Amino acid sequence: MSPATITSQLKEKFPEAILDITEFADEKILHIKSQHILLVLTALKSAGYNFLADLTAIDNLTLGGFERFAVSYHLLCHETAERLTVKAYVSEEKPTLPSVESLWKTADWQEREVFDLYGIIFEEHPNLTRIMNPDDYEGYPLRKDYPRLGRKERDDFPVVNRGIRKKKPLE
Amino acid sequence: MNPTEIKSNILTTTLESAINWGRKNSFWPMPFGTACCGIEFMAVLAARTDLARFGAEAIRFSPRQSDLLIVAGRISIKMMPVLIRIYEQMPEPKWVISMGACASSGGVFDTYSVIQGVDQFIPVDVYVPGCPPRPEGVVEGLMKLQDLVGEEKLSDYSPASDK
Amino acid sequence: MNRVTEQPIETDKMVLNFGPQHPSTHGTLRIIMELEGETVKKATPEIGFLHSGFEKLGEDLDFNQYITITDRMNYLSPLCNNVAYALAAEKLMDLKVSKRTEYIRVLMCELSRIADHLLNVGMLAVDLGALTAFLYGFRLREDIYDLFEIATGTRLTTSYTLVGGLMRDIPDGYDKAVIKVLDETVEVTNEIETLLNKNRIWQDRTKDIGSISKEDAISYGISGPMARASGIDWDIRVNEPPYSSYEDFDFDVAIALNGDVFDRYLVRMEEIRQSIKICRQSLDKMPTGDVSIDPDLGFSLPPKDEVYNSIEGLIYHFEVTMPNRGMTPPVGEAYVPTESPNGELGFYIVSDGTRTPYRVRTRPPSLMNYSIFSKLIEGHMLSDVPAILGSFNVIAGELDR
Repeated sequence: MSPATITSQLKEKFPEAILDITEFADEKILHIKSQHILLVLTALKSAGYNFLADLTAIDNLTLGGFERFAVSYHLLCHETAERLTVKAYVSEEKPTLPSVESLWKTADWQEREVFDLYGIIFEEHPNLTRIMNPDDYEGYPLRKDYPRLGRKERDDFPVVNRGIRKKKPLE
Repeated sequence: MNPTEIKSNILTTTLESAINWGRKNSFWPMPFGTACCGIEFMAVLAARTDLARFGAEAIRFSPRQSDLLIVAGRISIKMMPVLIRIYEQMPEPKWVISMGACASSGGVFDTYSVIQGVDQFIPVDVYVPGCPPRPEGVVEGLMKLQDLVGEEKLSDYSPASDK
Repeated sequence: MNRVTEQPIETDKMVLNFGPQHPSTHGTLRIIMELEGETVKKATPEIGFLHSGFEKLGEDLDFNQYITITDRMNYLSPLCNNVAYALAAEKLMDLKVSKRTEYIRVLMCELSRIADHLLNVGMLAVDLGALTAFLYGFRLREDIYDLFEIATGTRLTTSYTLVGGLMRDIPDGYDKAVIKVLDETVEVTNEIETLLNKNRIWQDRTKDIGSISKEDAISYGISGPMARASGIDWDIRVNEPPYSSYEDFDFDVAIALNGDVFDRYLVRMEEIRQSIKICRQSLDKMPTGDVSIDPDLGFSLPPKDEVYNSIEGLIYHFEVTMPNRGMTPPVGEAYVPTESPNGELGFYIVSDGTRTPYRVRTRPPSLMNYSIFSKLIEGHMLSDVPAILGSFNVIAGELDR
């Protein structure tokens, strides 16, 4: 099913879920409310979009959008070779949305990555722990208000000396 | 044995230079390859550059069997404790080559999760510049380390010398 | 003797830590395995040991600066990353590049694919105890490095593309050098196949090891040669035109059906052959023209000669490189999938209309491919783990970014 047909069908089917449908560079983007994500993606999967290519998030702090965070899903239909982007908006106060791990196993690690880097919580995820950063890391580094150089995490290690060898004086 | 035979069969040297000669010509490197530099380190070992010509081909992936740690690639905050542990597991005498810009200074990765130079936390003997260094550069770094080892004193290794 | 073996041997579970510093992880992976005897009962992979903040860094660098960072992502085939990022930025800005640019990009991508697969097959063989294939492959890889060095100036971190063009054109006589290496590639691939294909040990250690079913491959988001080894007929070069003029070339997509380590090896070897074919075609049909960025767009750097010798050139150079000048894309977003040697490498760029991207996301094929690993090794023997891991070709730089 082509992206244009499926988006208009979805709009009829779930009028309360869909915030907007936009287009950029000939590609449809479906903007939806986060609590309906599982419903919409299930419908899309049964309509032929069988491959979840990518799952990521965007911090809309200065870009502007419906909410602070957008979780974007890039779907691919192997049959017609068409792609569709779905963006689910998550608020800053309550950054939660349903996990799609039950539809695609690949969402497991990708949702963990989004949780690690953005602090967005996926409900009913089997193992929502940090994946890239150490478990005791504080903060969510890809949020726009997190400094690029971090908060001194990279300087906080013990210094090991050689002990038994004399240090040569610098020439 | 007649005196002329003795002359051609005996070599006099100091214990220090004999030991240093042995050490510098038979490094057992432990490659701590994490990223691009690790791939270039493979090139150093492979047919064209062939590190065996410099006596350092006995790659050991166990820190307890090696005396030269080659840090090749960027070290993240998650990897740094591992590197420190591996360094501590290596028996003395041990040396460290920091291969490439990332290991030496963080390189282009001035971000929250990359250590800005492993020499902040472990002692480094030779820095090889480049991103990644050419295999020839690594060989040059190894030869520089051989020079350093050749100049070492046995008294450097006495635990009492610090006091 | 029989009495002893008939009795079931009760053993305690043993937890084995594999990595993050282990020779057969080829980088920085950690797997915590629960063993019963020599059988893996449960495996927990841990990643992130090379997390370097690529995506954060991308928000601070402008479009052309970030190309140097993409080199360091998949360091087995940096040119594919360069091309993928350039394609994504070009789609965002709606730029057209010349036919010659596209052909050179195809040539470089395919040479990278050959180099990548050679190293991967070599490393897989090393992990299973066969050093010769690695040395054969690496000797050839050095020759391909030389080709990259002639064209781009460096061996590994190439940074060859620019948004809207290429850094420089290939020199005269480059085709002869490439053809010489391609001829050698044919020989080396034949040699490697003679060494391995009918080798009893090789077959025993790779056949029916780590089989991925078609359904699992789709569910886990697996792409590239691994998906094709499981019978998924999907290659972005063929299935999703237009993609950098790949539609002009005549080549076959390698597919296998069992999805085990042996099939993944066979698919990679066949892809090397097909890549050779594409390289030859691109050299034969190489169009004439210019590869630099269209100067009318207003963000191409002037020739260095002008910058150093004329005041106009110098002013123009400053204008282009100053913050908030030069390249400004529209507000919007673009996701471009490309067929990298590991699978679908996608760049997702969100722009807020300024000189630097608002968000740069990489869809790393290694991450999705590796996510099935724990499921795959459960029930296998411990000694099969390096074989399965080797056939995945996990690149930590891309996995963790």
